[in-house]
Amino acid sequence: MSDAPHSNPVAGGGYVLPPFMRTTAFRLTLLSAALFAFSSFVILALVYAATVTAGVRRADNAIAQESVAIEARFRAEGVAAANRYIVQSSVAGGEFLYLLNQPSGRRLSGNISNLPATQPDAQGRVRFTYERAPLGGQSSAEPGRAARGLISTLEGGYTLFVGLDVEDEARFVTYILNAVLIASGLAVAMGIVSGAVVSRRFSRRLDDINAAAREVMAGRLQTRAPRNFSGDELDDLAANFNDMLDRVERLMQRMRSAGDSIAHDLRLPLTRMRGRLEAALVEAGDLADREAALAQAVSDSDELLKTFNAVLSLSRLQTGERRRAFETLDPAEIIADVAELYEPVCEETGHDFAMDANPGLTIMGDRELVAQAVANLLDNAIKYTPAGGAIMLRLRSTSRGEVEISVTDTGPGIPPEERPRVLERFVRLEASRNLPGVGLGLSLVHAIAEVHGAELTLDDGPGGVDGSGPGLRIALRFPPPRE
Amino acid sequence: MRVLIMEDDKQVAAFMCRGLREAGHVCDAAHDGEDGLEMARGGQYDVLVVDRMMPRRDGLSVIETLRAEGMATPILILSALGEVDDRVDGLKSGADDYLVKPYAFAELLARVEVLARRRDPGSVQTQLSVGDLEMDLLARTVKRGGEDVLLQPREFRLLEFLMRHAGQVVTRTMLLEKVWDYHFDPQTNVIDVHISRLRSKIDKPFGSTMLHTVRGAGYRLQA
Repeated sequence: MSDAPHSNPVAGGGYVLPPFMRTTAFRLTLLSAALFAFSSFVILALVYAATVTAGVRRADNAIAQESVAIEARFRAEGVAAANRYIVQSSVAGGEFLYLLNQPSGRRLSGNISNLPATQPDAQGRVRFTYERAPLGGQSSAEPGRAARGLISTLEGGYTLFVGLDVEDEARFVTYILNAVLIASGLAVAMGIVSGAVVSRRFSRRLDDINAAAREVMAGRLQTRAPRNFSGDELDDLAANFNDMLDRVERLMQRMRSAGDSIAHDLRLPLTRMRGRLEAALVEAGDLADREAALAQAVSDSDELLKTFNAVLSLSRLQTGERRRAFETLDPAEIIADVAELYEPVCEETGHDFAMDANPGLTIMGDRELVAQAVANLLDNAIKYTPAGGAIMLRLRSTSRGEVEISVTDTGPGIPPEERPRVLERFVRLEASRNLPGVGLGLSLVHAIAEVHGAELTLDDGPGGVDGSGPGLRIALRFPPPRE
Repeated sequence: MRVLIMEDDKQVAAFMCRGLREAGHVCDAAHDGEDGLEMARGGQYDVLVVDRMMPRRDGLSVIETLRAEGMATPILILSALGEVDDRVDGLKSGADDYLVKPYAFAELLARVEVLARRRDPGSVQTQLSVGDLEMDLLARTVKRGGEDVLLQPREFRLLEFLMRHAGQVVTRTMLLEKVWDYHFDPQTNVIDVHISRLRSKIDKPFGSTMLHTVRGAGYRLQA
């Protein structure tokens, strides 16, 4: 692996592990292999100890029985009988080792020549090694076979030794021990190998995701991480990563189209203003003409500033910063204030304005924003309802306890199929601009509704009369305030 | 009057100064917060205009420092919309008024002039008079040439604001902010309608105009 992120230089000139050994998966596999080897070693060590103990006990029991049997014979029939038994047993090739010594210490009979050199314990038990006489085809004596024995003193000062060769058993146990050690070593080795394999597989999949991330960083936003649809963690990671990218892409698209519509919104008035100014500059009009052109340019730029500010408030609203200023509000008060501001306007424009507000309701919100929303709804109603029409501002609570502020007009309304589009924020700025009844203001109202968790709905107004209508009813439904 | 502009964009600062000079004022400009602080300490200014975002020291800090040093000069803070809670922070730091960029120069000029005049907040006036127009703030009555003029509460507050700033240009946005306490731009010319209503009560019956429209800027009440 030669790619840069994997070959971090190690400070201090220490040796560097191969890349696959530095992966998390490899370390985890290694750790689990080590734990497995250690625990199996402990278990097998316990089994070993138990086996050894049982073997010793079995040998000691057999020795004790044989010793007691000889002792009984000695007591009942005398030394000659015991002697005879020992000789017979030795000749028969039994497994026991015998030695019967006279009180003087001289050997009377037995198949070994001397008592073991090791010191017996209090019960007379002794552990020793002996050299077995060469058997059959064997050319020389085997050195140091392990054995256990029991030394007992008989009546009259005779010394009886009975022993048992445990060499084979000890060897067997050693074989097992070796096998255990080798198996543990193998387990660790296989753990390392399988860790390497697993970590390679694992890191290959992670590498794919990382590669996708790097592609995105390099500006290829449409890149997606490969998935295997197994539903495991890595697949999950890839899926989430892709979802995140989808969302980022959507947001960027939205911003781009928002930017486009802002540009569109500003280009027209700017072009118009430029044209006017240029005309004033070029045409040899009198001073009054020029002044008029300048005044017009100033009012054009005021419009521009208004649009600009509206677009900026909209984008700020959408970041949700204003939420922290929320307080308990009396919507009737807000409505009354806005109505007071707009009522004279309606009178001037020849609209029939009416207000109907239920008192005693509360909402959680930002006074300024709610007022702005209502003002925008009234602006729209005034702008798009022909003179002589009616505009109604109403505040009431719904059966579900929501607080509803609605503005109803008798203008042309918005066809049902267009309604969802005009509620789409920002992106639809340009499209909604061309629809009757909806300007930048409604995008703002929608954003304000979202900040308040309120629902914005569009309906037909009271219906068509004399070729006008059917009117528009826009309602802002605030959730009931929580106690 | 003497105005100090603290604005890091030199072109914008130069433009503002030119406009203020044309309106008959003296204007200096500082292009970063530290320079601005030094100039504000040294010069005798009637109004400071402080941009919120400046190199070396930001506007809020300049205002806080000046206020902590006991300077009472009125301050107008400028800020780009979209900066985190702006108006509240600006006023909390000790600024007297707040203007959002982008703004019309007429708006800036009107606010600066109103701020410069707004001195001596200690004295409580109970009577306002402009020409033959008189307002009694306690009795809530208005007379012109001795004749009673009946006003709605909001019309009264609108006239009060105009009378307090008689002779000065007040913009529509200023009226909306100070009289209605709204900080947004309605798309409809609501203020114009309210002004024309007020005119029909204080001007029309008396045959002479006191409430003038200033084109491209706002209104001025003048005897």
